[in-house]
Amino acid sequence: MTTTRRNLFKLAGGAAVGAMFTPAPWRLITDAALLSETWPGVPKPKRGEVSFQFGNCGLCPAGCAVRARSIGGQPVSLAGVAGHPLSHGALCAFGVAGHHLPYHPGRLKSGPAAQAAAAVRAALGQLRDTEHCAVLDLRPGRTASWTYRRAMASLHNGIYLTPEAPVVVNLSAARTVLSLGAGLYDNWGTPGNVIAAREQFRLFQAEPVESRTAVMADVWLPIRPASEDALALGIAHLLLAEKAVAGLPAGFIDRVKEFPPAVAAERTGIAEAQIAALAGELREHAPSLVIDEAGSPYATALNVILGAPGHTLVTRREAPVPDAWKNAASAADLAAVRDGSIRVLLIDESAPGDACPWNEIQPKLADHAAVVTFACSEEGYGRHANFVLPTAVYPEIVDDIPPAVDSPAAAFRLSAALMPPPDGMTNPADFIGALVGIDPKNALQDRAEAIRKSGRGSLFVPSTACSTPTKDVKPADFWKLLQAGATWIDDIDPRAAAPKLEIPALPVETRAAAFPLVVAATEAGTPAVGSPLLSKIYQESGLRLAPAGVAMHPSDARASGLEAGSRARFETASGSVAVSVTLDAAIPRGVVEIGGGPGIRNLCGARTSARVVRS
Amino acid sequence: MKIPGFLPFAVGALAALAAGWAAFPHAIYKTERQPVDFSHKVHADKAGQKCDDCHSFRADGTFAGIPSLDKCAGCHAAPMGTTAAEKSFIDQYVTPNHEPQWFDYARQPQNVWFSHTTHVKLGGLKCESCHGAMGDSDSLRPYQEDRISGYSRDIWGRPVVRAAFRTEGGMKMDDCVACHRQRGFTHSCLDCHK
Repeated sequence: MTTTRRNLFKLAGGAAVGAMFTPAPWRLITDAALLSETWPGVPKPKRGEVSFQFGNCGLCPAGCAVRARSIGGQPVSLAGVAGHPLSHGALCAFGVAGHHLPYHPGRLKSGPAAQAAAAVRAALGQLRDTEHCAVLDLRPGRTASWTYRRAMASLHNGIYLTPEAPVVVNLSAARTVLSLGAGLYDNWGTPGNVIAAREQFRLFQAEPVESRTAVMADVWLPIRPASEDALALGIAHLLLAEKAVAGLPAGFIDRVKEFPPAVAAERTGIAEAQIAALAGELREHAPSLVIDEAGSPYATALNVILGAPGHTLVTRREAPVPDAWKNAASAADLAAVRDGSIRVLLIDESAPGDACPWNEIQPKLADHAAVVTFACSEEGYGRHANFVLPTAVYPEIVDDIPPAVDSPAAAFRLSAALMPPPDGMTNPADFIGALVGIDPKNALQDRAEAIRKSGRGSLFVPSTACSTPTKDVKPADFWKLLQAGATWIDDIDPRAAAPKLEIPALPVETRAAAFPLVVAATEAGTPAVGSPLLSKIYQESGLRLAPAGVAMHPSDARASGLEAGSRARFETASGSVAVSVTLDAAIPRGVVEIGGGPGIRNLCGARTSARVVRS
Repeated sequence: MKIPGFLPFAVGALAALAAGWAAFPHAIYKTERQPVDFSHKVHADKAGQKCDDCHSFRADGTFAGIPSLDKCAGCHAAPMGTTAAEKSFIDQYVTPNHEPQWFDYARQPQNVWFSHTTHVKLGGLKCESCHGAMGDSDSLRPYQEDRISGYSRDIWGRPVVRAAFRTEGGMKMDDCVACHRQRGFTHSCLDCHK
């Protein structure tokens, strides 16, 4: 009997046919598919007891309430808390993925804390009478902010700096809202509050780019780049023609006279009738509100004309603090600080918030100034500082979150600490407090006690979804409930005076020819570093602009010698940053849209001019 | 001697059929014994316990799953009876406070969100609907895990091959969907894959 090659093939063929009539191949196909989901390279949360914890998101001042699900002590998912009076159950994409932040590849793992402390102490020892030690606090209003203010009050020539605080908005009182490019649906205020209040008002979005907010608005006004002020002046012209308003500066009245509807229409590119209709809507369907993140004096004046102060723009009391803290430095105006006078600058950017452009800070620094920044990544002021000290990030630490711009009442809530921070992290409040002998270890608890003793407001407890008047909460329970995710919300003071809207000096239109493009920084408000997963979505999907990406109209790109995917430098009067270029015909000519990130926030105000050049 | 033309083919086919039906169903699973030979029947009959006495819901509504050693030690702080299994359980686990490493027959994979509260308290499902007559068993059967996918055999179902028209006996997605359809519940991907 001989074995031929033909017989071997027959044997193999028979085996293959036979196998098809067994479970093996079919089962292996399914198993192989399942293996692709469970193979060892796929990260798996550890097994353990499932637990739930309430807290508040610390990624931005919105401080949305969260319900965290943990397995074996490891947070695996975050969700909103239904019925919450501030966040109304909503949580943004960053908030949903907030528990990824500790694993961000760009996170700082170590820093020269001892050397920084020594350098700061040495600089403080040599401080002249004309020099300052300054703290720049990017998220004022926290308990840590009070530590900084107390520390600066204790120091000779200590000053406390913050970004300019916006006027508090009562969105739920508004019936008509004109947004001059503000991203109401994108990183402005509290997302859930905007959504909850949205049914009450009509939204007009004036913006050159059809942003996500423009898409969701009742009316999108596709104005020409940098013509927001012209639109505000055109509307003011129409409103003032019908009814004079006292208290407006003469310079403003003169400027308004230059902008009859025809001129405003020419400058903005939208029809004269449309501007008239908008002015009528703002006047007829009051209370009205103009929101402008750029802080334009024309928008402020328009709010005064519309009677917004006291109705849609309100004064907010601060949450009570212990009496012992009252000796604290007030926020100083950076512009008023003498150039070359800051010898020590300590920047707390551990809690993402607004930023001061570096080009406004740099002239204020003395020669050989010691600049220390507390941050979770090097992407922000770390590029300019002598020392970058790593900090814990949400959700690793308990910290309080001050109320957002759209919260008419003060609030006190704590971010959830769902996991321990890694070793080697620096607490900015400990560092700065230690310079003057302040121990802020129990500061949060002390402030909570001061709030409880005031008897003001009510406490919302997420586990029961009920609010209880503060005076009815047992003293022993108040702090415990706050630690368990409760939110204290102040009463709205019925005697509060309407905020005085100071109309700043009218700007001179100086759009330098060197910077011909208007910046649309649609992602500027995004947290400093988001979830690594979101970073992947940014970089690989094109759904949103990546932090180091710009989008331009093809003709603008061609004029600068750029193509899709080009590496380029994005330059403003404040500095420059490396970017990659995306071409988008939907971007109007003369506009450059740029992704967010702390480096961008240092370069761009809300209405900045820029150029993009090949690198 | 000349081999008939069909013979190699037939031999190959028969060998594959034998291997596929006889050997494969055993080879695909690895088998583990549970750490303790627990009798649901004894606990139900003699101690009069019900399922939710041990497999309870917490105060917040979440399901506690397999009870921890504390629960066992509540009754078994000292040996209850003189059997060797009882003595072994006390010596190996209760006295040294060493948690038994149970193999969970019904463990869903990581990408599945399953709420016992929703199904038992709102849906009114009996434990036996998914877990079978576990409460009547006198001993714990061996745990079988798919060597490739890592799934428990109880998730896959007892038959080695689960054709689409056979939905009985498992806890795969097809089983969940079939049950929801049968009861007229709508479902979306995000109900389970959050």
